[in-house]
Amino acid sequence: MRSTSILALVGIALLGCASAVHAAEPVRIGVMGPVTGAWASEGQDMVNVVQTLAAQINDAGGINGRPIEIEVGDDAGDPRTATLAAQRLVSSGVVAVVGTYGSAIAEAAQGIYDDEGVVQIATGSTSIRLSEKGMPLFFRTCPRDDDQGKVMTAKVSEMGYEKIALLHDNSAYAKGLAEECKGLFEAAGVDIVFYDAITAGDRDYTTSLVSMKSKNPDIIVFTGYYPEAAMLLRQKMDMGWDVAMIGGDATNNTALIEISGTAAAEGYMFISPPGPLDLTGPAAQSFMKTYQEKFNSVPTSVWSIMAGDAFLTIVEAAKNIDEVTAENIGDYLHNDLKNFPGFTGDISYNEKGDRVGDVYRLYRVDGEGVFRLVP
Amino acid sequence: MEIFIQQLTNGLAVGGIYALIALGYTMVYGVLKLINFAHGDLFALGAYLGFTLLVSFGMGGAIGTGPALLVIAVMVMGMSALVGYLLERVAYRPLRKSDRLSAVVSALGASIFFQNAIMLIWGAQYHAYPAGIIPNLTIQIAGQNVPLIRIFVLVCSVVVMLVLYLFINRTRMGLAIRASAIDQGAAKLIGIDVRRVISIVFMIGPALGGLAGVMVGIYYGQINFNMGQMYGLKAFTAAIIGGIGNIPGAMLGGLLLGLVEAFGAAYVSLAWRDAITFAVLILILVVRPTGILRERVAEKL
Amino acid sequence: MTTNQRKILAAIGVVLFFALPELGLGTYWLGVLNQVGIYAVLALSLNIILGHAGMFHMGHAAFFAVGAYATAILNTHYGVPIFATIPVAGFAAGLFALAVAAPIIHLRGDYLLMVTIGIVEIVRIALINDIFGLTGGANGIVGIQRPMLFGLRLTKPWQFFYLIWGFVAVSMFLFRWLEHSRFGRALKFIREDVVAAEGMGINTSRCKLSAFVIGAVWAGFTGTIFATQMRTISPGSFSYWESVVLFMIVILGGRGSQRGVLIGSFLVIGLPELFRGLQSGRMLIFGAALVVMMIFRPQGLFPAPRRHYNLPEPYRDKYL
Repeated sequence: MRSTSILALVGIALLGCASAVHAAEPVRIGVMGPVTGAWASEGQDMVNVVQTLAAQINDAGGINGRPIEIEVGDDAGDPRTATLAAQRLVSSGVVAVVGTYGSAIAEAAQGIYDDEGVVQIATGSTSIRLSEKGMPLFFRTCPRDDDQGKVMTAKVSEMGYEKIALLHDNSAYAKGLAEECKGLFEAAGVDIVFYDAITAGDRDYTTSLVSMKSKNPDIIVFTGYYPEAAMLLRQKMDMGWDVAMIGGDATNNTALIEISGTAAAEGYMFISPPGPLDLTGPAAQSFMKTYQEKFNSVPTSVWSIMAGDAFLTIVEAAKNIDEVTAENIGDYLHNDLKNFPGFTGDISYNEKGDRVGDVYRLYRVDGEGVFRLVP
Repeated sequence: MEIFIQQLTNGLAVGGIYALIALGYTMVYGVLKLINFAHGDLFALGAYLGFTLLVSFGMGGAIGTGPALLVIAVMVMGMSALVGYLLERVAYRPLRKSDRLSAVVSALGASIFFQNAIMLIWGAQYHAYPAGIIPNLTIQIAGQNVPLIRIFVLVCSVVVMLVLYLFINRTRMGLAIRASAIDQGAAKLIGIDVRRVISIVFMIGPALGGLAGVMVGIYYGQINFNMGQMYGLKAFTAAIIGGIGNIPGAMLGGLLLGLVEAFGAAYVSLAWRDAITFAVLILILVVRPTGILRERVAEKL
Repeated sequence: MTTNQRKILAAIGVVLFFALPELGLGTYWLGVLNQVGIYAVLALSLNIILGHAGMFHMGHAAFFAVGAYATAILNTHYGVPIFATIPVAGFAAGLFALAVAAPIIHLRGDYLLMVTIGIVEIVRIALINDIFGLTGGANGIVGIQRPMLFGLRLTKPWQFFYLIWGFVAVSMFLFRWLEHSRFGRALKFIREDVVAAEGMGINTSRCKLSAFVIGAVWAGFTGTIFATQMRTISPGSFSYWESVVLFMIVILGGRGSQRGVLIGSFLVIGLPELFRGLQSGRMLIFGAALVVMMIFRPQGLFPAPRRHYNLPEPYRDKYL
């Protein structure tokens, strides 16, 4: 045990020496995401997006002449690892952290950033209570579960569906959203004929579909993730059951079509912030091009783009304040950042740190398997 | 009735896959008394190898879909067998004489290694198997539409299990495997090359696992790098239910587990499905402490 | 090196270790050490069951979870101070262990292993499904207080460092005493040969069950510390994989050996942290490292020394 700690001390000493050499003091920004573990693809995309952006900004002169240094913290999608990743990022002297993806993971790290006075901008953590704790340095670029629930129930009612089958996958995110929707549907007097959970990662949901069918709903509302949504669509078609289905933003992933097949996915709807390929702004499109050239692929979901937006607002704040401290960044983001043109639309943060404005759009899959915006 | 028929066929198809993976656990256990925790990840590896072959060679072509699928399945089985053989040589053979829990930790290490190797090679995102390998047809069973692919998966696993059963019971090598499982020392005395038996077992198990991986890919259409953990755990449960070390037990255990899952989810609760499965496992073991068909190993009293 | 010299060196090592926060060890490494400490206590308690009694138990996270949730629920719903929840957490975990272990205690080796995995999975699923409406479902419980000690609220990592490692020290001391007690010797006998132990008049099922309950109580206590340190707990922290990690620590370190278990915790929790520079490849290297360590130290890194008995000189060669 002694040798481990000595190693640690030596490591810290080396780190200290290395940073002292730099002439223009760099601005350190952390990215915390699940680089390993079950959600590794999200985390790896997040890191790639932020590192690509940082390289671009550094090439263009950095933050008022100061280069940006990115520190990566792998939270492995696990709360315990997340606390260590957060502590490590804090120790490495970051002023702000982008991430993370999962809500329970963000929550475990939140306290540490709050204690240590580091700005955290969550990018995929949609649980409501994250921003209800009065933490002054917590922000998020992703919407909250209740936003999505509101849009979801409004759209479903608007389209005239009356008998709802509500399905989630027991993950913190999907269950939160499902409960939100359930409350709103019930308040609106819409009939929920089926409410249950599937197990994520199962691949076989015929069971749920069959029980659901016996209740005869006119739409399935699924609040879980795209792999399960794709399987539901595919198995629904295999059963020969033609019923409408709508999902949440976690199904906004091009892999959905690959998995389910075009025929099964046609007509599937989901509400989501715009996907990586629907970003209309010129900045977004040119960035996606650069990204594609560099990594030979596009980010699989919108959440890593949210990480890019979070990073850009941090940079924007850092550029416009005299002294780059977490507190000043926090102040700027709360009070002075108005309608910042991000990849996913205009960004402003309210006093809780939540993103202001309507991010959600309704999409429908067309006959060629393309996600089409429903105006 | 609709629920019943759908769940029955579904449970049997999933159970067949569990059984194929469980066979790998149980055969290795029979000969080595080792729980090969890396087996689930070899199954996932098989799914990825099949994915790469399918994507790079495409389906059908000159020889038609059926034969092409067969060729790919055989190739995946061959490659999985090779990986299994290497795994045994590198991670388990040096521990043959040690406490068997040491080999368990080595197996867990190998499991972490394989899972992350798959992630680094193929990427962390989900991969979609090419759609429409098996035509999207349904057939009528007791008045219900059942997808053809479900029957296909069940038939495949039953055929493979039958072949394995004949191999174990009708060939000299099968005899040697059975003898080594009962008493390695005695097997050596009568001239069986136990080391070779172990290598063979470590090739057959992963080959079946790899095949199951391809079947999962075709059946569900998507694979991801950590799928081995869940399937591995389920298949291990199946092997235990049947009586670990017992080959027909693993087959029975797999099918039973598939059915318990399907009916538990349908008639009790979806959200509690896995809990129900494990509760049934515990009940079975409380009543029959060495599995339904009993373990086929001599035990010290 | 004489025994005395070794003891002095060990004492210096311990003093140095406890001085680490004062020596300016960074917050991050303190955080790592704190987690190592928590896993060390858990592994020490598992060691009673797996190392001493020789029962293949791969569901220890279930008892840990019961303790952590007991504390979290009492503290957040009923405002019970953290330290006051410790006995309840231990009692709840122990009671739970008694209830689930009694029917399965007779299961042999790998069957017990599978059943204990089943138990930890059932517990996790129950927590996700918000059992009794108290566990907060998949999001878990948030807002657990930090503990008060002599009017001081512990919030900083170095304070937790002393709390956790103090608990490690107490646990080691008590478990060492337990190991050498009549009960501890009976457990070892059971591990080596159940039939012979039964023959000598040891009530083997009762001993095994007691080992289970003691291990569980201790895991429950640790749950309290984990809950208050994390401030938020969710079912994801108590998965079957956490049990596997504990299992690995005990076997890798050398089962039955306190030193081994301690080293095992450092390696299994610490190595992935040391490999962070490798980013997404770090767990690959960690897996390979586990295999290599097992191959080179099949008995564990620090196997328990066989106990020495002072026999008269002429018999020594003959019996030892």
